[in-house]
Amino acid sequence: MAAAGLLLAQDNAPTVEVTGAVKQALTLSADDLAKMPRAKVHASNNGIEIVYEGVWLHDVLVKAGAAQGSELRGKALASYVLASAQDGYQVVFSLAELDPAFVENQILLADTADGRPLFGEQGRFRLVASKDKPGARSLRMLTKLEVVQVRK
Amino acid sequence: MRSGWLQRVGAGLAMAAGLLAADFDWTLPKGFPRPVVPAENPMSAARVELGRYLFYEKRISGNGTQSCGSCHRQEFAFTDGRARAEGSTGQLHPRSSMSLVNVAYAVRLTWANATLDSLEEQALIPMLGEAPVELGLKGHEAEFLGALRGDARYRRMFAAAFAGESDAVTLANVCQAIAAFERSIVSMRSPYDRYRWGGDAGAISDAAKRGELLFFSSEHAGCFRCHGGWNFSGAVRFAGGNAGGTAGEVDPRGGFFNTGVAQYAAPNRGLYEQTQRAEDMGKFRAPSLRNVALTAPYMHDGSLATLGDVIDHYAAGGRFADPNKSRILHGFTVTAEEKRDLIEFLKSLTDEEMVHDARWTDPWK
Repeated sequence: MAAAGLLLAQDNAPTVEVTGAVKQALTLSADDLAKMPRAKVHASNNGIEIVYEGVWLHDVLVKAGAAQGSELRGKALASYVLASAQDGYQVVFSLAELDPAFVENQILLADTADGRPLFGEQGRFRLVASKDKPGARSLRMLTKLEVVQVRK
Repeated sequence: MRSGWLQRVGAGLAMAAGLLAADFDWTLPKGFPRPVVPAENPMSAARVELGRYLFYEKRISGNGTQSCGSCHRQEFAFTDGRARAEGSTGQLHPRSSMSLVNVAYAVRLTWANATLDSLEEQALIPMLGEAPVELGLKGHEAEFLGALRGDARYRRMFAAAFAGESDAVTLANVCQAIAAFERSIVSMRSPYDRYRWGGDAGAISDAAKRGELLFFSSEHAGCFRCHGGWNFSGAVRFAGGNAGGTAGEVDPRGGFFNTGVAQYAAPNRGLYEQTQRAEDMGKFRAPSLRNVALTAPYMHDGSLATLGDVIDHYAAGGRFADPNKSRILHGFTVTAEEKRDLIEFLKSLTDEEMVHDARWTDPWK
């Protein structure tokens, strides 16, 4: 998508789609996220301290009915979440690494930084994978989360 | 256990260092980190001011024609506007003059040196270096220091900057003062800073906003992969950071890239000149892009005249085929409008206050 389209997409009531191997596909706006349990992550941009706020990705998956908790066993363990950005960039998380029952590695779906809505190169929504060493999976300009079950 | 007098001396030195540190105001925008300052060269207003006079002092060159400021001019964000710097004897440097803005945050210094991280040590290179001759001070050091000692202004300034030293006018102290001055040149007041960090949505144009998305998208230009973070550079070091003040573990040979901009030949083979390792051929440091609109011509050899030329170079995935070219260079399609947008974004990184800031102007004018 060209830059003009990227900018326009941010202006037009952006949302995050949650699709794939879920019981209830979702289209989440900032208002929807504001009604869910909120969480914060402290991060640093080369010494500039930033507080991201949003919703744990685990809670989004639970809301959509993806396998988490006691349902995350057997074939479901061969599932992953494909996160896509407005510009086509994509990253993957296994379903298990998003479940705090498996690992203390909570990923935030952030919509504000330091109390202000995200904007610009961050997009309206982004992921914050604060325990990853590189920032490559802290995907910016998030638009879609697709749960993919490898073993049917 | 230390003896009592040693403890008292230690406490006294610590107090002096504390006073010197307290005597300097970085005037950083809220939230930006402070640079790392070496314990042996604490910042003080007196030391930075002495450094400013020395930075612009032409007697520091063997023939009295050039100062540090000759190749690092404030109006060009402390570069010189030339493809390759020209020394006091007319000898051309193989490489382009680098900006000194935010140099205090740089993990490594100069274009292609994997070990140099001290501004104090670096200051000696242009003074005493002979290949190439820059300031050409070698052999004239005593004459230069004598001239400083004979100048009442410098006697006062050295005494204030290096209080308690019986003979403060030394080459080591000249380097310390110049390094302190260079360390003080920080720039975080561009329109983009106001937009990104200051909550001013109207500080940059829509074209610049579109250019920002191209810059930060790995699916498009992806410039941020080498020029990332708030300094638009490789890794930065800052006070309170991890791993000795850096943003994280830093590979000493990281942050250097072969971009295929030249057919690399001696003495311009990048890190290879230092390491003699084949994989370092053509690797040069990715500089900060802050104020980049002021620092033309571009690249280590000044071979690209305009920002448009630089975008064309990267869009083509590098001008020359090179087996050692960085895999980050993927090439990309860019329309004329997108190119204009990228340039508008890069222009939004210019800190106009820095260019005119009286703290860094030539005191001899």
